[in-house]
Amino acid sequence: MSNPFAERLWTACFSSLLLERFLFNELTAAEAQRVRAHLSTCAACSSVLEGMRRAEPLPPLRVVPLRPNRARRAIAVAAAVAAASLLLVLRSHPGERIKGPGFALAAYVQHGVEVRRAGPGETVAAGDALRFVVTAPVAGYVAVLSVDPQGRASIYYPQAARAAPIAAGDETALPLATRLDATLGEERITALLCPSPVELGPLRAALERGNLDFPEDCQVARWHFVKR
Amino acid sequence: MGNEAEAQEALQEVFAALLRDPRAVHTDVSAWLYKATTHWCLNQLRKRRNGTRLEETQPLGEAAAVGSAEAMAEARRLLARLPAQVAAAAVYHHVDGMTHSEVAAMLGCSRRQVGYLLERARDQVAQEEQSA
Repeated sequence: MSNPFAERLWTACFSSLLLERFLFNELTAAEAQRVRAHLSTCAACSSVLEGMRRAEPLPPLRVVPLRPNRARRAIAVAAAVAAASLLLVLRSHPGERIKGPGFALAAYVQHGVEVRRAGPGETVAAGDALRFVVTAPVAGYVAVLSVDPQGRASIYYPQAARAAPIAAGDETALPLATRLDATLGEERITALLCPSPVELGPLRAALERGNLDFPEDCQVARWHFVKR
Repeated sequence: MGNEAEAQEALQEVFAALLRDPRAVHTDVSAWLYKATTHWCLNQLRKRRNGTRLEETQPLGEAAAVGSAEAMAEARRLLARLPAQVAAAAVYHHVDGMTHSEVAAMLGCSRRQVGYLLERARDQVAQEEQSA
């Protein structure tokens, strides 16, 4: 019988934790520089790091229902898309509420381990995660669509053919986080609140053709961000 | 864990724990994830110990790169029998390649204590080799 604890099974000079922290920008500038300097001369560590970068995306986590009474003070959501480390922690902003009777869209952006509430035109980075929050004056069906800088439209929420039901309420977090790809430029987001579960495929196609006319009985909220 | 389905379950459980109490993360997210994942997996291995014998399935690709499948399977059997802190120190050092300082930070103990824990892991394995 071999003794697996007689020596390290890990083959790189740096630990997997240190390399993970390097990948997720959790190291100080000096520590990161030390890792970079070492990687330039060490094939073993470079190879391990490359393997970690190429890691297959993990399956999406099951959606955890949000409890309205908790949503106002602290909401946490996690979605795993790569290397077991996509975290999106949403925090409430005391005193900050969307006012007025209208349908409204807001978003939180997670960059590394930091989470912030995003304003219109927010600058974000590829790899950041977004979570949308809607204020619905009446119960209805909600959807969030996007047009990327190259004019491609996609459906961010829900992951279904039709708009998803939502109860009336302020700042309801949609139960999905979206990881941003590497396409740089301005991305335009359109959220709809409709009285019926509208079919989203035709709306996505129309958005891609540049047609911004949505069903008349739907309320529309728009938002955009810039990926740099 | 020895197979992908259980590794995915571990992932789900760790993130579910984060959802229940996001304030648990006081330090870097990576470090918290390592700690929570190691803790959960070792508990599972320990629970299995008294049940059916570990069923060794195809190792994960990454596990195969880290060490031989045989060594990893042996490691899982041994980890299930070690005291919790000894097992955690062994995983951090031997599987994740952490230095004594990094392990000490993860366990919240001194580097000297880490040396002692790793020595205990080696000794216990050596004893089992002799009695096998």
